[in-house]
Amino acid sequence: MKHTRKLTAGLLAIAMAASMAGCGGNNASSAAPASSTPASSAAEAAKPLTGGGSKIMYIITPSHSNPFFKTEAESASAKAKELGYEVKVVSHDDDATKQAELFDNAIADKAAAIICDNAGADATVAAVKKARDNNIPTFLIDREINESGVAISQIVANNYQGAKAIAEKFVEAMGEKGEYAELLGKESDTNAGVRSSAFHEIIDQYPDMKMVAQQTANWEQTEAYQKVETILQSNPNIKGIVCGNDTMAVGAAAAIKAAGLKDIAIVGVDGSDEAAEQIKSGNMVGTALQQAALIAEMGAEQADQYLKTGSTGKDEKQLVDCIAITKDNVDKLKNFVYSG
Amino acid sequence: MKKNQSNHGLAMTLLKGRTFIVLIVLLIFFSFAAPNFFSQNTMLLIAKHVALYGILAIGMTYVIITGGIDLSVGAVVGLAGMVAGGLINKGLTLPMFGVTLYFDVPLIVLITIVVGALVGWLNGIVITRFNVAPFIATLGMMYVARGLAMLHSNGATYSNIVGKPALGNTGYDFFGSNIMGIPVGAIILVIIAVITAILLKFTPFGWHVFAIGGNEKAAKLSGIKVNQVKIMVYILSGVCAAIVGIINSAQLVAAHPASGESWEMNAIAAAVLGGTSMAGGIGGIGGTIVGAFVIGVINDGMVMCGVSEFWQMVIKGLVIVFAVVIDQFQRNLQAKMALQARGEEKETAASNPGGNLA
Repeated sequence: MKHTRKLTAGLLAIAMAASMAGCGGNNASSAAPASSTPASSAAEAAKPLTGGGSKIMYIITPSHSNPFFKTEAESASAKAKELGYEVKVVSHDDDATKQAELFDNAIADKAAAIICDNAGADATVAAVKKARDNNIPTFLIDREINESGVAISQIVANNYQGAKAIAEKFVEAMGEKGEYAELLGKESDTNAGVRSSAFHEIIDQYPDMKMVAQQTANWEQTEAYQKVETILQSNPNIKGIVCGNDTMAVGAAAAIKAAGLKDIAIVGVDGSDEAAEQIKSGNMVGTALQQAALIAEMGAEQADQYLKTGSTGKDEKQLVDCIAITKDNVDKLKNFVYSG
Repeated sequence: MKKNQSNHGLAMTLLKGRTFIVLIVLLIFFSFAAPNFFSQNTMLLIAKHVALYGILAIGMTYVIITGGIDLSVGAVVGLAGMVAGGLINKGLTLPMFGVTLYFDVPLIVLITIVVGALVGWLNGIVITRFNVAPFIATLGMMYVARGLAMLHSNGATYSNIVGKPALGNTGYDFFGSNIMGIPVGAIILVIIAVITAILLKFTPFGWHVFAIGGNEKAAKLSGIKVNQVKIMVYILSGVCAAIVGIINSAQLVAAHPASGESWEMNAIAAAVLGGTSMAGGIGGIGGTIVGAFVIGVINDGMVMCGVSEFWQMVIKGLVIVFAVVIDQFQRNLQAKMALQARGEEKETAASNPGGNLA
């Protein structure tokens, strides 16, 4: 769910051409090279970045069509406004090129700070460096990048811990035995692998738990629905389905219901309201809430503190624990906020 | 020479039925490779899955035969689901009267289909009246329709779209249910396929569709209302997409605005696999349905074998390109045979000059 599906290859080129045509006019800062010299980076690392000069905070996230990112953007925006900043909320649609352009816009706009849920662990490094060279600090939320010392903070949900926590609930619901299937996220996405290996670290400790099918459903609902239906044909005895995100879990729950089956344990990760509804009605066992709102607010707060004092007072990499949501505590979950 | 010709004849028959042969081969292969594959349940399931892009592919076939393309169908699937889901969950609020109207399901379905038709009509108008290339016009519409789907709920999913008995709008889940074990989606696919196949083969409208794709200028000169026919074709494609949107959201009992993303590609692939020529003028509904089933069998068969998604993509891609390669081969062969036949005619005519008189 956390990554919107890329268009098919045939359309990708067109889409990129279109988006470039749409945003191409805005290149005021193209003079600054994307890669900084090590010397300037080191010098700047010594003295804190003071921002571009304005009181504008840029919040760059993936598409708001996903409620997770919508909550994230809204929470960061609300917090930044509360702290007295002007806020510009934009979306990169998981396109690294578009993200680079948005960073350029922020630089041209003399932004005070950038809060970003990025479009790619490697592709984002250059953009963050460029902002840094222009004296603008970047605070990464939800997803990390593959380099440290470039962004000021990297605040991410502890996917591994979260997936493990919910896997425990899954094993418990299955009575520690039986056949189950796994729906993976997009296999090219790091998070899909992280969550899957966390699931298995827990589940594989139980010798009577037997995985009979493992398929990717690309974080997607219709695909999860169809794959579960198909898996049920070859494995009619499955008693549980562990899913890489909630969108797939909700799709799996619909398929189980359509097949007229009951008491199949289904878990997901994310903590969406749709999943909460399924947990309440008993179609799902649980989900692992990634505290999107909390993470986003932390980003805004740390940006403010850094601009005022020159330090966030915290490590660059910060992991925020996920909360296992089951029917016992699902009432406290709303819109990715856990009020416990 | 005779023997040679009958060889050609056999080759032609095989080539013409190539997609069907591929389908049979795939069915046999997966029956051995995956236990439980060859069963009534699995076949019905495949039909249910195929229904979604099969119906899209039917509309697409019409469009491609006229020499056009419709890239907006996937987005219309999303939009249609949102329209239907919104009408069920939120009703239609009329601020000037301060009321919220809830419609019953048949009316909701009708409204949704009209929305699809409207999108298709707009596509047709932009293409015919403003002379925009179909690829561009429908690409633009793809973004517009997807954006509207997102705006409809501000990006949120309408979940649990079952309606309330008090509001009299229950029954939407019918489109995701089974009738005597047969998925409603598959039944709708069959109904639409039969109607559109008859329309294409046996009515003047169908002939006009072919004529436009074969040679638009000639069609115009012979008095066919080219623009009108084209607009009708895009409306048909929009309606098909709206129907898919209804079936999809009813199956999931939820409407998600990003639903149907890149499904237009599956629809195009099914049409092309079924022998529809991207150049226009050639194609048929039967072929498209077989093409859709080839994709469906590959998808579900490989899932049941536990093949990774990456291989599924590679194999699907190869099958599509291979089909078109054979398609070209067949056309060349056909042209050669036509030439040969003409040569033979001349020969017989030459050796028997008085034949006709006797």
